[in-house]
Amino acid sequence: MKIADKKALKRESILLTSLHLFSIYGFHKTTIPDIAKALKMSVGNLYNYFSSKDMLAKEIIKYTSDVIGSEIRAINMMDISTDKKIYKIVEVYFIMAKEKPEMIEYFLRVYLSNREVFNDGCEGMICVSSFITEIMIFFDDGVESGALRNQDFFSAFGLFMGYLGGMVFLKGENVLPQNIEFYIDDISRNIFNALKA
Amino acid sequence: MIWLQSISCNGNAHSFFNHPHLFSILSSFELVYHPLLETKYNLIEVLEGNLECDILILEGSFKKEGFQKNGVEILDIAEAYASKAKKIVVVGTCATFGGVFKEADPTNISGFCFNGNDTTERYKKYASKLIALSGCPIHPKWLSYVLMMFIKNRPIPVDEFHRPQELYGITVHTGCSRNEYFEWKIDTKGWGLKEGCLFYENGCQAPYTKGSCNKILWNDTSSKTIVGTPCFGCTEPTFPKANLFRTKTNMGIPATMPLGIPKRAYLTATGIAKSFRIRRFEERIISYDD
Amino acid sequence: MMIKKLIEKIEGEAELDFIFNNNKIEDVKINFGFSRGIEKILEGKEPFDALVITPRVCGICNHAHLLATVRALEDGYRNAGIKVDLSNKAIDIREFTLACELIQNHVKWFYLTMLPQLEKMLEIENQENHALKASYLSSTITKALAIFAGQWPHSGYAVVGGVTCDPTYVDMLQAEGLIDESIKFFEQIVSGVTIKELLAMSSVTQLQDIGGDFGKLLYLLGSSGMAEIGKSHDRFIVFGECLCFKIGKSIPTQVSTINPKYVKESEQENTLAKAVHYKGRQFEVGSLARGMIAKEPIIKALHKRYKDSLLTRVFARIYEIGLLLDYSKILLNRLDLSQPSCCVERSMNIENFEGIGVVEAARGSLIHKISVKNSKIKNYEIITPTQWNLSHGDDVEKGIAIKAMVGSKSIKEATYIFRAFDVCSVCTTQ
Repeated sequence: MKIADKKALKRESILLTSLHLFSIYGFHKTTIPDIAKALKMSVGNLYNYFSSKDMLAKEIIKYTSDVIGSEIRAINMMDISTDKKIYKIVEVYFIMAKEKPEMIEYFLRVYLSNREVFNDGCEGMICVSSFITEIMIFFDDGVESGALRNQDFFSAFGLFMGYLGGMVFLKGENVLPQNIEFYIDDISRNIFNALKA
Repeated sequence: MIWLQSISCNGNAHSFFNHPHLFSILSSFELVYHPLLETKYNLIEVLEGNLECDILILEGSFKKEGFQKNGVEILDIAEAYASKAKKIVVVGTCATFGGVFKEADPTNISGFCFNGNDTTERYKKYASKLIALSGCPIHPKWLSYVLMMFIKNRPIPVDEFHRPQELYGITVHTGCSRNEYFEWKIDTKGWGLKEGCLFYENGCQAPYTKGSCNKILWNDTSSKTIVGTPCFGCTEPTFPKANLFRTKTNMGIPATMPLGIPKRAYLTATGIAKSFRIRRFEERIISYDD
Repeated sequence: MMIKKLIEKIEGEAELDFIFNNNKIEDVKINFGFSRGIEKILEGKEPFDALVITPRVCGICNHAHLLATVRALEDGYRNAGIKVDLSNKAIDIREFTLACELIQNHVKWFYLTMLPQLEKMLEIENQENHALKASYLSSTITKALAIFAGQWPHSGYAVVGGVTCDPTYVDMLQAEGLIDESIKFFEQIVSGVTIKELLAMSSVTQLQDIGGDFGKLLYLLGSSGMAEIGKSHDRFIVFGECLCFKIGKSIPTQVSTINPKYVKESEQENTLAKAVHYKGRQFEVGSLARGMIAKEPIIKALHKRYKDSLLTRVFARIYEIGLLLDYSKILLNRLDLSQPSCCVERSMNIENFEGIGVVEAARGSLIHKISVKNSKIKNYEIITPTQWNLSHGDDVEKGIAIKAMVGSKSIKEATYIFRAFDVCSVCTTQ
């Protein structure tokens, strides 16, 4: 394996391990030495990959945004109707919440709740741009095809993402009586009914 | 050189008349007929179809039949001279694609060799000697460029619509005084402000319209976008579109992307630009109150 | 006996049928053969799109159409209850650019038509390139126009509430420089006297002080016996609001007010141009009409001696070039650039309204009427100045230009009288 590929794999494993530790012990309580220890790396070596914990925090958000973004991109490329795309997006989001809870948890409980960590280097939405771009493409295609009502972007975005984020939050609080997949059908129908032309 | 008008407003003739070196350019030609300038022959003589013609300039859109002057169908006489001529220059969007006047009768009115995006039955016959200068109207220097290239016997590289690449290879967006605002996605806040870009809300089509209006300035001094008027896309086969003063958006995203830019690329760049607040772009450049 | 003649170089062409009786012209039928259908094209469009379409009626007076459209829209908005209060800056900029277009128009008429055609008629050899003078003045003055309006022909810079431009004093000074150049040219080559001297004239004898090409034209008209031909009904009307002209009618010298509701159009036989009249009577529009209603001293004096003859008509138009050049400098110098360019919200959308917009174009009053339902243009009517001057009239009263030609002994002379009205073929058939 080339050195570059090895480094990339290592980098990714640091990101995933950090995510895992943050979700168990919390963002502030987890330290760089904790992460290094879990990876059986030296702290110095870890600093070669990420110069600070804040830097690591920003890279994680970009990483999670890329992961979700590429799933939604694949859905956007599919030749299916808008309401089916909504179903698939909700499905992807909820399954990720179930199988990789630390990613969505990170977004809700670390990124949104610790803005001061992300102020410098993650201005506005640049660190989540891969995800936002795909949502924009989805909305643009939906309005262009006549399926969705033309409206202000943020009204539609707030409805869609706020709804999904809220459900995942409730899941995280163990308040939902059913498995999260149970809700995919109703929720996607609600979203489509709210946004359709 | 014969300048023949079909269904036209004469805008191209008047625009060319404003060329600062009009007569020195015309001195290289024998002007057989022109709608404004005094020429040896009058229109009735032109309509007889017997005059010599090396360069035929056509202005205005064409109707197969039903548009006559002095009892002569203009399309017929245009074709008669087109067959004789060594070069044909269609000036204006009407003569090129059909333009504004095509809307009165879309089935029967079209440009000389193009009907919107498609070719007409005349295309095959005349394509080899055709140069098209679309625009509503044309800029005088676009025509003088073509005419002087003819004189110097230089080949003119053209695009798929026979428009010179030196003039139509760039977009109207190139050189616009508001480019910085476009780069940083700063929308102008209404009409009548020099600050801000006209693309996001004001209907400006410059980023996807071919033309050199912001490079070879209008009347050697200005352009629509410089004075806050959106580009109406007048050089393109689709002119005039509907709703020219408003940008069509889908959930705030411009429906038409700048030329050749994939939507994902545009949105990613926009997302990044919009994440930063550049103070200078939010302020007015000049303040007149002391 | 009837003789048909195709008259060209009138922004298109027209076919005139001259009807002779006892060797004199008794009647003239004017036929415009093709209508491009702009009024129909506008139906169903968004109201603001008219700002782009109506200038395409005409290559030489497109700016007048633009301003008539925006005034019709603004009138409509006001009728719908919206406050539309243009800043003085916006009003003055629009007046300035309109004045530039009128000047360019008058200059072309003078140097491409009136002077060379007269010299040709009188068989006077002249090697001068009159067209070059027209091209120079036209490109200079339209450059000043373009500084504010972006381009000429076919600017789109007027929107409801004002203008889209946001000029600086750099722009204003550049425009003033171009006006100064034009004034210098006018004074040295066209009139031979300063504009101040020209505008101060008040008696016919002072006309001999006029030199240059203008002086030559006046001399040729006088010495060839053509000064007194071309008289018509001696009735004038001006509808367009402008700080430089006055609205009203003058019969012949009695000036009174008018009401646009008495303007009526009607179809005519054998031509696609519609006739128009005011309270059933024919009225002349154009520079002479404007001079009469504003009671310009020299126009009054000339009219007293020559009535509405060819000489008076021609004089009035060239005189107006001086008037407009002077006026345009005044406008530039009083611009307060700190005022807003546009006073109406960009997003404002009025779904139903009706409005009338009137402008003094080069050849006379231009009227646009718009009616909008459910945000789309339901009806659009354009009445051009040439329609006023070229209406055929009826048995009771012949049209203005026709009356002016009646009694003439030759087609050449009648054609010259016809050209003095400066017909715009493309406008008339729209």
